[in-house]
Amino acid sequence: MNARPIVATFVGVVFFLPLYLVLVNIFKPSAAVVADPAGLPFPPTFDNLAAVLNRPDHLFTFGLINSIAVTALSVTVLTVFSAMLGHYLARSRHWAAKVVMGTLLCGLMIPVPVIMAPITTVLKWFDLMTTLQGLVLVNVGYYVPFGVLLFMGFVRGVPLELEEAAALDGANRFRVFWQVVFPLLRPASASVMIFLGVWIWNDFLTPLIVLGPDSGTTVTVGVYRAIGQYQSDFGSVFAFMFLATLPILVFYLALQKNFVKGLTGGAVKG
Amino acid sequence: MTQTMHRETRVKARAARPPRRRGGFLPALGRFSLFALPGLLAYTLFVLVPIGMTGYNSLTNLNPFNPPTQFVGLRNYVNLLSDAEFHQALLNTVIITAIITVLANVGGLLIAMLLDRPTKLYVLLRGVFFTPVVLSSVVISVIWQAILTDDGLLNSALRGLGIDEPPGWLSDPDLAIYSIAWIMAWQMLGFCVVVYLAGLQGVPRELNEAASIDGAGPLQRFRNVTWPMLAPALTINVVMLLITGFKAYDQVRVITNGGPGNGTTVTMAFQVVQTAFVSNRIGYSSALAAVMLAIVAFISVVVLRFLQKREVSQ
Repeated sequence: MNARPIVATFVGVVFFLPLYLVLVNIFKPSAAVVADPAGLPFPPTFDNLAAVLNRPDHLFTFGLINSIAVTALSVTVLTVFSAMLGHYLARSRHWAAKVVMGTLLCGLMIPVPVIMAPITTVLKWFDLMTTLQGLVLVNVGYYVPFGVLLFMGFVRGVPLELEEAAALDGANRFRVFWQVVFPLLRPASASVMIFLGVWIWNDFLTPLIVLGPDSGTTVTVGVYRAIGQYQSDFGSVFAFMFLATLPILVFYLALQKNFVKGLTGGAVKG
Repeated sequence: MTQTMHRETRVKARAARPPRRRGGFLPALGRFSLFALPGLLAYTLFVLVPIGMTGYNSLTNLNPFNPPTQFVGLRNYVNLLSDAEFHQALLNTVIITAIITVLANVGGLLIAMLLDRPTKLYVLLRGVFFTPVVLSSVVISVIWQAILTDDGLLNSALRGLGIDEPPGWLSDPDLAIYSIAWIMAWQMLGFCVVVYLAGLQGVPRELNEAASIDGAGPLQRFRNVTWPMLAPALTINVVMLLITGFKAYDQVRVITNGGPGNGTTVTMAFQVVQTAFVSNRIGYSSALAAVMLAIVAFISVVVLRFLQKREVSQ
């Protein structure tokens, strides 16, 4: 007798219950949500999803566009900047490189609320308050320590001889980095993109304050804005959340495979 | 043999003499500007400068709608000592942090041990427990709000079972803070499961077998073999959860907005943001922020040191 699969499945089902409630109630009319929240949606209705997509205020569609733009831009810039900075710091033997690294490490533990008010001041200096560019720049500054930390670990695994050989063949620093080093850092790039993509998509306080109430916002803040209006119409709220989460979940699952492949790919070379 | 020696001397020679660089100050400056400057500039503008401003503002009475701004020395910090709202926020933050650290660690360890098998069922269940970690805390908050609110899904079910007056999970001032902590623990559980699973996979099977041959029962094997090997996993989880607890903001903002009643669920992060952006008392908010940063820094450095020392001594 082995109780493990039964216990494990039971615990998993209980844990999953809140997510199950979301998934089934998206496809039910409001009356059915209240009357029978746990039942299966039969016959399913797609009214809730359609209502979110066709909102007259475009809270979802505009939010989605903003989220995609901000996340894609932030992650791309972060991957490039932190790969370059991580490589530079890992290869530098100057004492100042250690000081810079220590300063970046301190940044890893700073909670956003601590610096939120001054961030708005800095953004106002450059007239970037309530703009997507401003939000992207804040993301880049705040998350660059994490990217650098991850890339530095990987750069140390790239043999210096490779870079020297490329330099001897006449490649300049720029080409050495982009054509020799960066492709070898692909597993690190994948991890940086997964972590930061998920974090930035899910961010709440930073877009809430930086983009402000007047201009458009991200889908994650959109979920927050939507709950006030729907009150207790759970079906619509759940549909909004589901659609707001779907893109990042797909991104996560797609890259995650890549990420595992990248890790094991290096192991075979020995 | 000679080849290895040859290689060793070569490695030593390289370590002793830095690789030749196409030298000169200007190329070095060019390299710095090209590779290091972009990232460092963003970091300086949006983290270092703001930290400095928070520190400076905490010594002033800055309020954009109530000029003039004056330098007040440590008065904000002195006022914190007698600020009942701050005491409540500190207490709430400690309660949340303590609960999520214990709940997610104990639950995470038990579930990791339950799922520490390589077959498909357990791999699927790992995914189930990890899903909330990937979701936004806003989404998690809304889900649980729908469940725990007075006429929510849980109370409807309880009424169906014949309980006429189920508790107001989020509306009872004595209960709301624990509901918030429970929600955060639920979200962080999967993180602990994954970290403990990685730790468990690092425990050599031979060790457990040897202990078993020596007559150790399951509890003894856990206490003396598995648990010491999980020390690094415990360090990661405890530090991560302590920091998550002290940063708690999203759940409070989305679910209770500080209430019910008078600030019963206000956390430090929430008070920092409200004081800055609702009351516009930037100076006072900065002092709160500085205290919060000091606590987080203390946890990151001191607790981490302590737990790492424990790892070595075991």
